[in-house]
Amino acid sequence: MQTDHNLPLLVKDLSFRYQRRPAPSISGISMEVKPGELVLIAGVSGCGKTTLMRCINGLAPRVYQGDISGEVRIFGKSVQDMSMTELSQRVGTLLQDPERQIVSSHVFNEVAFGLENLAVPRQRIIYRVNETLEYLNIEHLCERQTFHLSGGEKQKVALAGVLVMQPKVLLLDEPLASLDPASAAEALAIFRKLADDGISVIIVEHRVEDVLAIKPDKVLFMDAGQVIYQGDAGGLYDSVDISKVKLPARAVLRRAQKASTQPFKAALPPADGQELVRFEQVEFRYQPDSPPVLKEIDFSICKGDVIAILGPNGAGKTTLVKHALGLLKPTRGTVLIEGKPTHSLTVAEAASTVGYVFQSPTQMLFAPTVQAELEFGPKNLKHSTEQIEKDVGWALESVHMNGERKTPPLALSFGQQKRVSIAAILAMRSRILMMDEPTAGQDYWNYISFMDSILQMPGFDAILFITHDVDLALIYANRVLLLKDGTVAAYGSPENVLADENLLHSTRLRPTSLLRLNLELLPRTGRFMRAEALVDYVSSNHQVTEV
Amino acid sequence: MLVSFQYRPRKSVIERFDPRARWIASFALLFSIVLFWDVRLLAVFFVIAMAQVFLARITWKETHRAWILLIILSTIMIVVNTIITGSGTIAGVVGSGKPVFHFEIKIPLVGWEIRYALTRERLWFALAQYLRVFSIGALFLVIPFTMDPRIYGVTFRGIGLPDKLAFTMDLAFRFIPTLARDYQVTVDAQRARGFELEKTEGGLFAQIRRVAPLIVPVTMNSILAGEDIANAMDLRCFGLKKRTWVEALKYQWPDYLLIGAGGLILIICLILRFGLNFGNFWFPT
Repeated sequence: MQTDHNLPLLVKDLSFRYQRRPAPSISGISMEVKPGELVLIAGVSGCGKTTLMRCINGLAPRVYQGDISGEVRIFGKSVQDMSMTELSQRVGTLLQDPERQIVSSHVFNEVAFGLENLAVPRQRIIYRVNETLEYLNIEHLCERQTFHLSGGEKQKVALAGVLVMQPKVLLLDEPLASLDPASAAEALAIFRKLADDGISVIIVEHRVEDVLAIKPDKVLFMDAGQVIYQGDAGGLYDSVDISKVKLPARAVLRRAQKASTQPFKAALPPADGQELVRFEQVEFRYQPDSPPVLKEIDFSICKGDVIAILGPNGAGKTTLVKHALGLLKPTRGTVLIEGKPTHSLTVAEAASTVGYVFQSPTQMLFAPTVQAELEFGPKNLKHSTEQIEKDVGWALESVHMNGERKTPPLALSFGQQKRVSIAAILAMRSRILMMDEPTAGQDYWNYISFMDSILQMPGFDAILFITHDVDLALIYANRVLLLKDGTVAAYGSPENVLADENLLHSTRLRPTSLLRLNLELLPRTGRFMRAEALVDYVSSNHQVTEV
Repeated sequence: MLVSFQYRPRKSVIERFDPRARWIASFALLFSIVLFWDVRLLAVFFVIAMAQVFLARITWKETHRAWILLIILSTIMIVVNTIITGSGTIAGVVGSGKPVFHFEIKIPLVGWEIRYALTRERLWFALAQYLRVFSIGALFLVIPFTMDPRIYGVTFRGIGLPDKLAFTMDLAFRFIPTLARDYQVTVDAQRARGFELEKTEGGLFAQIRRVAPLIVPVTMNSILAGEDIANAMDLRCFGLKKRTWVEALKYQWPDYLLIGAGGLILIICLILRFGLNFGNFWFPT
């Protein structure tokens, strides 16, 4: 019956239930992938994408135990009958966070790791490592320390570590999640090249729009453990919920014409020009003799501002935000928080004005209950007991987590943890909310609803966020600060700053389809808005062209 | 924050030796040193250890923190054990001897009498302890500055540890900077919530509770990362068979010489100590 010997991957009626879960995580999945095919699997968090990948690369049920039924065949041979040694040379997996995939301190050793474990002779390893580095154009990284690589470089190195084992099927788990737009474009070009060279590439990603740019041969959309769409990209536009995956703006527009949405309104106070934080000629160096990380920074955060900070890795975005909080003090110049220089403030004093939410909630959550977690900040600030009780209650209410008072924060889902971390700042009654990559690690559906709810929360006078996502800045910000090499390259309204395509390219950003569409419609709209909202401005004679 | 390894190529004589030979010789010297309390012999080891420091071409600027830490810790230990209480010394050293300095005080109310005599013996013994601590310290302090982090794994494999244990060394070097960075992020995140580490209030348990906001997130992150790291290693077949180490080490004749010298010194020392009963506490009479 074996007619599938030439088929790199065949999945037939696959179901899997984790040992400790009552219901299967995926069920009835069938798909096949031909040599050199590029397949996109899209879907929201928890749709079963990761479980499907684990069934293909053998981690389920080897490491993640449970009940598996149906078939997964690699070139006609069942994955369950293969040894890990055999399987690893057929199926390569790039995990979501390259930081956690890299196990060696240096690039060369990292790439060699898999072959070392397969006991390949040393000379052969050296040859293949060099060959792989060359293939990915990263020979110059060979002697570098992995810790100091940029996000994009880390991912290429991790990919090299997988490709060196010469897999025929490559699984990529949200490979764009941690990359800036320019690095993401480079990574996608590499994935296309791999497919063109005969490897079957399977990309699991919710940034659908970005992946569509490299023309996947097939698209699968998963929801609740099942494949609900399988076919070409065009068909996907019509069959999925546009609020769940990110489609090109024009496709959204076409769909939104059929189902219009509510207009979005932020809950911030109106801009009255009142300055909350001011940077005056700020320069910062870690050491007196090291090069400046920030220089000549001049800007203010005013009441009513929603500021997006964009810029390449290492441009000084996080350093800038740390100054606004007094975590770092300028080497030269002054940062004023409500008129007081940070030199004369402790971080705790600054914290009552400025709240800072770090990228990953697990970096700050520690308390046994959500309630205790929220009390931590106000207690440090020596608020009164009655005040704390009132503010904690209000903060929980604001993030819709009143029912979770007694739950340990670490037992919550990622999105809920993120909400708790915001509530922890709310409970301190900080008036300015600053967030480092607020959408990192969340899928499109989650991060849009998350950002919507934060902007509609009462209590903040201004919001500032660091992001790589041009669309996020475009949809939510009324000011965009573009940082480049430690200086302000541009600061102004999104309509002004984001319109300059050369400027975007020089800061490793890329214009998105939503940006292009907004620019095109700007004479009519007067300001940027999300794709669904543009519907009202597309007149009947305005032809929405296909992507 | 900047985290980096202390290692950089220095073109020193020390680096030309095979790391396995260096570890073996260093351990041979370590075992030799701990046999003796004789200042004359210890001085010889001290000279050998310091010679290595100078041959390694490490600078004071790079190492001063480590040295200062060593001086402070050893001084506290030695002053308390030898000069003041004498409880850490071998029998008979402090009980008698010529006092250099002595005093007696009577504590009022309780009426306790304190008699104290600083003897020459005590001082010589303190010197012997310093020499031991500094010889051993200097011997091993050189290693992180002059040994490429990439080769620790293969070195320990070469000395005889199993693959998995040896690779743990490599893994440690990979994740130490990450851990340091994560810790710093958590410190910043909690300071942004008004947390002040400097404040010291309450007893021991209260103090431990105070650092929970730093320790819990860092630990939890490490555990979460651990799952991914284990998966990444499984997917690339770690531990399934005897692995190749792409970093290769090769003994040259000077390495055999170094191992031989280390072994010879240890043998001579063992004979001196147990055969001839030489090397006990000594001071000039």
